[in-house]
Amino acid sequence: MTEATIELVIPSEVRYVDLVHGIAQCAAQTLGFEEDAALDLALAAREATINAIVHGHRRDPARKVQVRLRAAPGNGIRIEVCDEGPGFDPERAPDPRARENRLRDSGRGLLLMRAFVDEVRFERRREGGMRVVLLKKMPGRAAARKTEEKE
Amino acid sequence: MKASVRSVNDVWIVDLQGRITIGQGDVVLREKVQDLLQMGCKKILLNLEKVSYMDSAGIGELVACYKRAKERGGTVKLLNPSGKVYDLLQLTKLEEVFETYRKEDEAVASFGG
Repeated sequence: MTEATIELVIPSEVRYVDLVHGIAQCAAQTLGFEEDAALDLALAAREATINAIVHGHRRDPARKVQVRLRAAPGNGIRIEVCDEGPGFDPERAPDPRARENRLRDSGRGLLLMRAFVDEVRFERRREGGMRVVLLKKMPGRAAARKTEEKE
Repeated sequence: MKASVRSVNDVWIVDLQGRITIGQGDVVLREKVQDLLQMGCKKILLNLEKVSYMDSAGIGELVACYKRAKERGGTVKLLNPSGKVYDLLQLTKLEEVFETYRKEDEAVASFGG
């Protein structure tokens, strides 16, 4: 299997969040991720997409969210979610686990992303907006199976 | 997501099935709990056994339900969160906010007479 890239451009409407979730989960399973790891990746992609739609674009359907998924057999999956919003500093986001923040209705998306993938990066795009990069490595067993298949 | 309501010893149990996510499950949950609170029901037990997962919006709605009930002198407790849902409650430290039970009869009894 060779590397695959999937690109989506979606309006900022929450009904498209399920589409991103589904594609991420399906891609991970196609690559050989276990069910639970595939769900983790999909949940992280879901959170990055919600973040772009709700916080980046204030649900303005005219503004587009770009999602780029790259699946590299043996290595894992990289997902980029780009918005055109004003951007934010992830280091200044309050910790939702802190006692004083636990009863907030929002603010848990970054925590979930970081919990469900191996690496999360937040980058300011030169053309404006934010790019969230999610990396999920091939879990041990699945990676070993791919190596065996090659041999 | 599907939600149905039943009553056991004055405790209102909301059986949830599916996922509590943005734009769908969170709305269903909000409406069910709001309906119960408007009817004057103060003891609410959310049965999460058949909820497969939640996202940040769903978790936020759980918290909002908890606060809304508290404002009206009520309580929201949780029953049987499944694998991923339990992981999320632990991760967000909400297991320290919500009283959570594994057995329905114990959960119902915890509300007292």
